[in-house]
Amino acid sequence: MQSVSMSFTGLTRRFGRVRALSSATAEVAGGGVLVVTGSNGAGKSTLLRCLAGLLAPDSGRIEHVEDGRALPPEERRLRIGWVAPDLAFYDELTTLENLTFFAKLRGLPPRRGVELLERVGLPADRDAGALSSGMRQRLRWAWALLHRPRALLLDEPFQNLDSEGEATARALVAEHLAAGGLAVIASPVPLEVDGVVCHLELAR
Amino acid sequence: MSSATSSWLASAVAVFAKDWRCELRSRYALHAIALFAVTTLVVASSSLGPLGADKSQAVTVLPALLWLILLFAAAAGLPRAFVHEEEAHTSAALRLAAPPSALFAGKLAYGASLLLGLEALIAPLYLALMSLDVPSPGLFAATLLAGGYGLAAGSSLIAALASQARGRSTLFSVLAFPVLLPLLLLAIELTRNAVAGQPAGVALPQLLLYDASVTVAGLMLFPFVWNP
Repeated sequence: MQSVSMSFTGLTRRFGRVRALSSATAEVAGGGVLVVTGSNGAGKSTLLRCLAGLLAPDSGRIEHVEDGRALPPEERRLRIGWVAPDLAFYDELTTLENLTFFAKLRGLPPRRGVELLERVGLPADRDAGALSSGMRQRLRWAWALLHRPRALLLDEPFQNLDSEGEATARALVAEHLAAGGLAVIASPVPLEVDGVVCHLELAR
Repeated sequence: MSSATSSWLASAVAVFAKDWRCELRSRYALHAIALFAVTTLVVASSSLGPLGADKSQAVTVLPALLWLILLFAAAAGLPRAFVHEEEAHTSAALRLAAPPSALFAGKLAYGASLLLGLEALIAPLYLALMSLDVPSPGLFAATLLAGGYGLAAGSSLIAALASQARGRSTLFSVLAFPVLLPLLLLAIELTRNAVAGQPAGVALPQLLLYDASVTVAGLMLFPFVWNP
């Protein structure tokens, strides 16, 4: 895996009169993890949505560099891997059909979806609408890793997972970091993660 | 074909196939459109059909009525293609995986195929129930094709804009008036010409120009609307 880094400076985002994120600044390089903590409403999810390109910050700067090239927002959006509680899939489609659809959008072979479903321990023929909350979380993991992203943005990534599911997710993070990728993990509680870890505490 | 073009095309086809697959399993839009179209068709034919309207009125009134049925049937089902993505929270996954213009093209193809399928079902039924002769069937078919595509393209563009707003249904109605009015006027005029056995005149090129304009506008505007 080639070099990757992500940094952000003075990121601020308001929703009307509410300041959801205030001057967040940090950086993380390939092989490293940035753990973002803070109480409910501190702006963790807002920060990750800004980094993913799903939300435009009111002020501040984001730099996502891959192979020495800073990615523009529209490219950053397609490159990152994202796991978040509000990430949803098509209830009418099976888990495999969902992943195959997104694989086609990304120009990937459908086989990649089969591999990831096996890895996260999900049945291929179950409708996404019939998944438990823990299984939905496993599907989010499979979806996030579909295109082998170098930057993973993980918002409460172990939420609803059983012990086996959490172990699989932690192993996936470890493999991702070992291959030179980076991860930004948001969690309301302090999190133990292996690797080069930086911390960012957001205050409400 | 370059790899970027074929990749864009593959993404658009994937969105089109996904929308149809989801629709065939949920049948939400199909039911909404078919129910509205058949109900209005039956009501219109029972009050204005062979027993209710004379020949001179038929040529003036019935083409307009056909397009009103198609307009409201489209409004009942087409906006869902975009609005449902927001309401089901699947839009984030799409934003992170699909080029916006390919997504719009796939949604437009889905909407157009849905509406053209509806026309293929409704138009012969309408002509039969109203006992309406069409001396220029070629012009009638061309009008249905170009008008149906324009209706789908205009509705897709408006639905894409409205889906990002809070008052989605109100905004759709407000935006639909100025965007779809020229299309409807042209389509009604062409249908009248087909029913009266007159040539298309300049209305057909104007309708095709409308179709092209709305398609290009959608492809260009959608990325700005879709992404923050």
